[in-house]
Amino acid sequence: MNRNDATATAEVPAPPQKGDYPPWPLALNFRAIKMTDEQFVQLCADNRELRIELTAERELIVMPPANPSTGWKNNTISGELYIWAKQDGTGLSFDSSTGFTFPNGAMRSPDASWVARERWDALPEDERNIFSHLVPDFVIELRSPTDNLRTLQAKMAEYIENGVRLGWLIDPRQQRVYVYRPGQPAETLDDPETVTGETVLPGFTLNLQDIW
Amino acid sequence: MNRNDATATAEVPAPPQEGDYPPWPLALNFRAIKMTDEQFLQFCADNGDLRFEFTAKQELIVMPPSASRTGWREGQLYFQVESWSRNDGSGITFGPSAGFILPNGAIRAPDVCWGIKERWEEWEERLRAEGKEDTFAEFVPDFVIELRSPTDNLRTLQAKMSEYIENGVRLGWLIDPRQRRVYVYRPGQSAETLEDPETVTGETALPGFILNLQDIW
Repeated sequence: MNRNDATATAEVPAPPQKGDYPPWPLALNFRAIKMTDEQFVQLCADNRELRIELTAERELIVMPPANPSTGWKNNTISGELYIWAKQDGTGLSFDSSTGFTFPNGAMRSPDASWVARERWDALPEDERNIFSHLVPDFVIELRSPTDNLRTLQAKMAEYIENGVRLGWLIDPRQQRVYVYRPGQPAETLDDPETVTGETVLPGFTLNLQDIW
Repeated sequence: MNRNDATATAEVPAPPQEGDYPPWPLALNFRAIKMTDEQFLQFCADNGDLRFEFTAKQELIVMPPSASRTGWREGQLYFQVESWSRNDGSGITFGPSAGFILPNGAIRAPDVCWGIKERWEEWEERLRAEGKEDTFAEFVPDFVIELRSPTDNLRTLQAKMSEYIENGVRLGWLIDPRQRRVYVYRPGQSAETLEDPETVTGETALPGFILNLQDIW
């Protein structure tokens, strides 16, 4: 019996572990809950410390904050995309806090994304302040240590089915990049030094040596 | 670089640990969501492997299933209260899955609770009159027990006990197996701490009830 440890509450929390139960991310069946787009935006804003998505099957996906290593990698990737997009000028890049509503009803936040400028400009003003009904042309997902690979692969396939033109799933642990394109099976690149934006992001090259 | 471990998905999950982040239970600010009691009941049913409460501040509390030993202790507690209650006859006992709507708007599910039978029958009467099926009862139990599990934050549970008393519960016990302590909550008094008691008695709220803690520790 130890009477000293029980009232301590200010411990440094451990990051999520693979195998935690219930597993992160937490999936809540949300079919019984009716909410407007605005209420959903408010729900996410009211829980800023968590990352929230909604699947096409109306599951609310609740994700913990990223660990610093993943956060750094994510920021590096977003930064590279931002620098290219700014110089290129034909579109806008978005960071991982951005939610998009897809045609199948899912609201997803890719870790990084890019939208062609004419498509962004065509979006009504009121659509920019909710999780826009807008499909990014390009998305990146970065696998964190707690992410299940198959779940992420299904998410990438969903992006493509909903109109995304190019998707990269970057897995630092395996040092792999899975490239998703419409009408093709995913291509697996083993330990590539770089990946290129092909025809969707002409001239964009992501150097992966910084990420691995 | 290990290419073999990455696609493994069928691991046995580890139970929640103290210090997990985000901590269990998870609190989601739910102010933006308007839902009826029926919708919330359906939501709970649709997520049957998780346990939920709803606070007066409109937070949805998401709790993992009980660790096995905690579940066993809950069963022991229910058994002792129910054994006394059957003899006594003046009230009914509820297990850990029963949710109650408190006057402050919170929906809480004490680990074990007990209420005077006449008052419960008034609620049942009201349900029948409104033509409703079983739902979260607008009913304040007379007596509640909360059992601290390894992942429960003590202060959160203490606040919950105070909330019970503020909402009309007449006697509350917070049982902490790790510290072998029982915190006794009564209206108009500060909580009393019992160190490693062998038994606790039901006082005037449950006359004649004696909980044997040797079975619980």
